[in-house]
Amino acid sequence: MSDKAAITINLPREEVQQRWTSSAPEIDGDVTFKDAPGDRGTEIHVALGSGGGPIDKLRGTVPLAKAKDQLRRFKQQVETGEIPRSEGTPEGESVGRKFKQRPAQPLEESELEKAGVR
Amino acid sequence: MRANVWSGRNTVQVENVPDPKILNDRDAIVKITSTAICGSDLHLYDGYIPTMHKGDILGHEFMGEVVETGRGVSNLSVGDRVVVPFPIACGNCWACQHELYSVCENSNPNWGMAEKAFGHGTAGIFGYSHLTGGYAGGQAEFARVPYADVGPIKIEDDLPDEQVLFLSDIFPTGYMGAEMCDIKGGEVIAVFGAGPVGQFAIASAVMLGAEQVIAIDQYDYRLQMAVNKAGATATINFQEDADIVEQLKEMTGGRGPDAVIDAVGMESWHGHGAIAVMDRVKQAARLESDRGLALRDAILACRPGGIVSVIGVYGGLMDKFPTGAFMNKGLTIRTGQCHVQKYLRPLYEHVKNGDIDPSFVITHRLPLGEASNGYETFKHKQDECVKVVLKP
Amino acid sequence: MPFPPRPVDTTLHGVVDYTAGATLLSVFPMLAGIEGTRSAAQIRTAGAIHAGYSALTDYPLGVVKAIPYKVHLALDALGAVALAATPFVTGQFRKGPRHWVPHVALALLELSSLAVTDPTGYGDYHGDVDAVRRANAEDPHRKIYNGTAAVRPAAAAT
Repeated sequence: MSDKAAITINLPREEVQQRWTSSAPEIDGDVTFKDAPGDRGTEIHVALGSGGGPIDKLRGTVPLAKAKDQLRRFKQQVETGEIPRSEGTPEGESVGRKFKQRPAQPLEESELEKAGVR
Repeated sequence: MRANVWSGRNTVQVENVPDPKILNDRDAIVKITSTAICGSDLHLYDGYIPTMHKGDILGHEFMGEVVETGRGVSNLSVGDRVVVPFPIACGNCWACQHELYSVCENSNPNWGMAEKAFGHGTAGIFGYSHLTGGYAGGQAEFARVPYADVGPIKIEDDLPDEQVLFLSDIFPTGYMGAEMCDIKGGEVIAVFGAGPVGQFAIASAVMLGAEQVIAIDQYDYRLQMAVNKAGATATINFQEDADIVEQLKEMTGGRGPDAVIDAVGMESWHGHGAIAVMDRVKQAARLESDRGLALRDAILACRPGGIVSVIGVYGGLMDKFPTGAFMNKGLTIRTGQCHVQKYLRPLYEHVKNGDIDPSFVITHRLPLGEASNGYETFKHKQDECVKVVLKP
Repeated sequence: MPFPPRPVDTTLHGVVDYTAGATLLSVFPMLAGIEGTRSAAQIRTAGAIHAGYSALTDYPLGVVKAIPYKVHLALDALGAVALAATPFVTGQFRKGPRHWVPHVALALLELSSLAVTDPTGYGDYHGDVDAVRRANAEDPHRKIYNGTAAVRPAAAAT
């Protein structure tokens, strides 16, 4: 039994597959690419081995949650050229940040490097 | 810099916080010249929206001067005067390409959080809790604007701030509310809520050619503004007569309005009957997050086959939604956070042509330092308050 | 998640006040199995007093809005402590658990409800309207009542 996740990228399949190979997101599972209906682009389907016990679920490191984050980050990078950063989560979307957000206030200089901005 | 931050329920205060910095290549930094308090900010102020943190900068209606741009921004230069739309939209995803900017698929870095509440994430919004991304808002001296090559509109003439500021949120929101009513000329439109968004919904319905526009509220001074300034042709003050549905039928020859706009949202204050008390109590106990009194009446009042256009902000779940009325009368409900970017240019043209002067809603222009008093006065409708603009 | 930990506002508190008052006055002694005892009379008195000053409180469910909300909350707290102390002061606690447990339980319930009650209340305008008027660069009354319409009908009609 495996967990599944899917996301649609607003680009043609060849380009998506090419970008996937070159950026290689760390997802441990089977990845398939499909054309989405109409003009919707390309679907990426991921089937993971199910894993992670209750402690992992609490700490947000369950493979499925991480895989979904990775898919979203890949979509953001490929469609817009960057990962959206907010003051609350300056590293971009991450499971860990779901539990521990910064206040929605600009970062100090010292925090920028830690957030991966500089 | 100074910024107005959320400090708990019914508390905001102006504090010193770091200046914003460019975090991504498509960012720009704007020095804010005018910003406003929105009715939806009151849901944050009243503590009904979860995921707020102490220190979150509020504010999603702002404009100013570009002072810095990231390497990926070529359409804006330092010194440009811009109005910034409240939804943050990337411009590249399927939703943005279909002009559905408020549901942009990429701009919310807390998409997974919002997915738990709504089934999907939606666009990031400035200063509106961590569910919409945790972005710092614009009730401050400066703000960082992501995807600055997509969002902000350049203001290239001498129109004062007060006339263009509301392109950021409330004018397009009211306009989208009226546009969703499919006005072809000659309709009767009822607008629940004569707050700033309601005023713009009324004005937009008038601009789009509605023959009669009925404003509904409990405050006479707001109904006066609706008639004197926004072009409403009739009013209902439900404190005088609580049966809005009956009054609307009488005013429309028994038919009911052709379309109804809900510009009220989740803190509907329509105190009549047991259902109203139940709603208030349930909302206080957090058993029900949304009070849907206006929405219920809108559905009951709308003529069969008509349109209910919902632009009031809702956050969670309401009880007792009239599914029978809604289905059997064949109503169309159209709704959404406004896709502001779609309306910026056409509405800017209307302002330039003199078709509308959006500054009519402003009753209070205060320095940023008075933000706390501004919120209180706006929330409690003191001093004939309709809209508060803050000047950093 | 930092969500306000004091969800009970004035309206809800009012509902609880009257419900609690009514229940204490009527069925509680029977349910607690202390009908006919001194405890029953004490608890009924407490319920009556509670409902009484609630009706005189300045909050949404008050009949005569005389007592400020914060004073009401203070009375709630004092009343809870007094109710809990009563069996020990009168010495009846020696007669057995039935003669003091209900008092203490009710007091604890009251105190915990106070702990989740928001003391500011909805109707509490804590702004400074004079400061707002001084700082306001607009004249609200003039904006609403003077001048002409701000919109041209059918200007956007197709």
